[in-house]
Amino acid sequence: MGNTSMSVGRYAIYACLVIFAVLYLMPLYVMITTSLKDIEEIRQGNLLALPAAPTLYAWAKAWGSACTGSECEGLAPFFFNSIRIVVPAVLISTLIGALNGYVLAKWRFRGSEFLFAALLFGCFIPFQVILLPMARLLATFGLANTVTGLVLVHVIYGVAFTTLFFRNFYVSVPTELVKAAQLDGANFFQIFRHIFLPISLPIFTVTIIWQFTQIWNDFLFGVVYSGQGTQPITVALNNLVNTSVGGKEYNVDMAAALIAALPTLVVYVLAGKYFVRGLTAGAVKG
Amino acid sequence: MGSLTISNVTKTFGSTEVLKGINIDIADGEFLILVGPSGCGKSTLMNTIAGLEEVTTGQLLLAGEDVTERSPKDRDIAMVFQSYALYPTMNVARNISFGLEMRGVPKAERDQRVQEVSTLLQINHLLDRKPSQLSGGQRQRVAMGRALARSPRVYLFDEPLSNLDAKLRVEMRTEIKKLHKRLGTTIVYVTHDQIEAMTLADRIAVMKDGVVQQLGTPNEIYDNPANQFVAGFMGSPPMNFVPCEVNSDGSLAIDTSGHSLSLMIPQSSTLKAQNIHRVILGLRPEMLTEPKPERVGDSVMALEMDFDVTEPMGADTIAIGEWNGIEILARLSPEAGLRAGKKTPVQVDLSKVILFEPESGERIR
Repeated sequence: MGNTSMSVGRYAIYACLVIFAVLYLMPLYVMITTSLKDIEEIRQGNLLALPAAPTLYAWAKAWGSACTGSECEGLAPFFFNSIRIVVPAVLISTLIGALNGYVLAKWRFRGSEFLFAALLFGCFIPFQVILLPMARLLATFGLANTVTGLVLVHVIYGVAFTTLFFRNFYVSVPTELVKAAQLDGANFFQIFRHIFLPISLPIFTVTIIWQFTQIWNDFLFGVVYSGQGTQPITVALNNLVNTSVGGKEYNVDMAAALIAALPTLVVYVLAGKYFVRGLTAGAVKG
Repeated sequence: MGSLTISNVTKTFGSTEVLKGINIDIADGEFLILVGPSGCGKSTLMNTIAGLEEVTTGQLLLAGEDVTERSPKDRDIAMVFQSYALYPTMNVARNISFGLEMRGVPKAERDQRVQEVSTLLQINHLLDRKPSQLSGGQRQRVAMGRALARSPRVYLFDEPLSNLDAKLRVEMRTEIKKLHKRLGTTIVYVTHDQIEAMTLADRIAVMKDGVVQQLGTPNEIYDNPANQFVAGFMGSPPMNFVPCEVNSDGSLAIDTSGHSLSLMIPQSSTLKAQNIHRVILGLRPEMLTEPKPERVGDSVMALEMDFDVTEPMGADTIAIGEWNGIEILARLSPEAGLRAGKKTPVQVDLSKVILFEPESGERIR
């Protein structure tokens, strides 16, 4: 009796999970199928049907020749803009976060707890609040509308998060390791390099995925602080969708959106299990 | 040379005074043990010697040089931690040689040193393993190897055996003692285990509340404790403390199992002369035994006692009776013919009794 009620419960749970999975995957399915159809087939209105004659025309156009405003070079140049922004911004903010976290966790000083609290506060400041002051600052430094300027903005905004991640990870590392290394004659940076960096792979994975996703997907900073030729892919996608020459090309829009989303999807698929593992990584057993 | 002088060292954290003026002179090659209950400041003292914490006031001299202001790496001191603190991502060989590497010792010399140390500690077969692949005892050896590799002037051991199981602890204790004999280097060793302290130390410093209560050889501490705290801390089972009235002739009034005794003790004349009325009698359990004809003398007295509980320990049996309403432990031979609830003849050797002031716990000599 207990068994049957148990298995009925099980089936209910699985049924529920399947329904939700289908619901969540539906938009992705529609996007992929639509991007592979030609515009005639889309006009027939069978949204859920598989493409009758799959074609990569829409993908090629979105990548190489779709119009984003007055230019018609597709998303390709903006894709590389995003790469040029994201790679340095992620690396720099992660490295600074690792050093900050190391100091705040293991080299406490007067006021370090206050400093940490103040940094945490940075996680809760909405983007919109800093738009104007940041624009002024970038203008002063002569970095307005440049890739360097955007990298700087993302680094500053990201350091609060990366510091939080690393600090909480390093707090669980036994302080006696630092003491032992000090007695062994290692200095501040040697302890970081030889003791802390080698155990940090899980938290580096988490932080890099987090920062990559945040910065790649950013639209607001991208639209405000970029100029002609330095726009990230999110801004270009918006322009592409809003630029219509003749009729609306849904297949091109869908392909463009998929291209813009692809890197974060790939990162999650490749490193997702490390992400979960890193989030739950506890003390380092000696 | 590794003599170490701790001179008037104090340490305060905020408003808490953890060390209240510590003075200890440690000779070159001496094995000094710091014991005390948790929170007595022994680990803090250890950290100040290592340079991991700064002293608030006072001075530390290593081989006559003032090292008070020096950073840990410039003190030529190595430390073995309670948690071993092995570097988790390095293999055993690199754990041992890391200190040498940081000091710029060439690779060939480092390798040779690793070989020497690992042979000495019998861990040659473990050199390629990571700490997580080692048992507790093996980690302990590696931690010692790391300290040995640098041949420092002073070794610090911070409760190194407390994470091991009982059998391994006894083995490692013997091994540390052998190692000290062989190397002859100064060792300062923190423990809360008084058996470790008794067996290993050349001298013991008993600490409480940031003050050294007594500094002396194990025998001095055991036979001649400075106060009731030291007397009660050292020895297992612990010393018996019995509050007593002093009779007019200087003997002590004891009431046991319904009849009264008067104990004439070596200090009786002093008590009478100084007109002291109440004392705490300190008596080690091994001074209360079955009758032993060979030990009869002036200060040995025969009596009968009831024992409520007996705890056979193999070599001897601890029996619990009552004096003046206080539990008192006797250490009897297993053949003493004990039977619960029946009067047992025993003898008490009063030659080594110790007396304490009831209020302050100070010795009455």
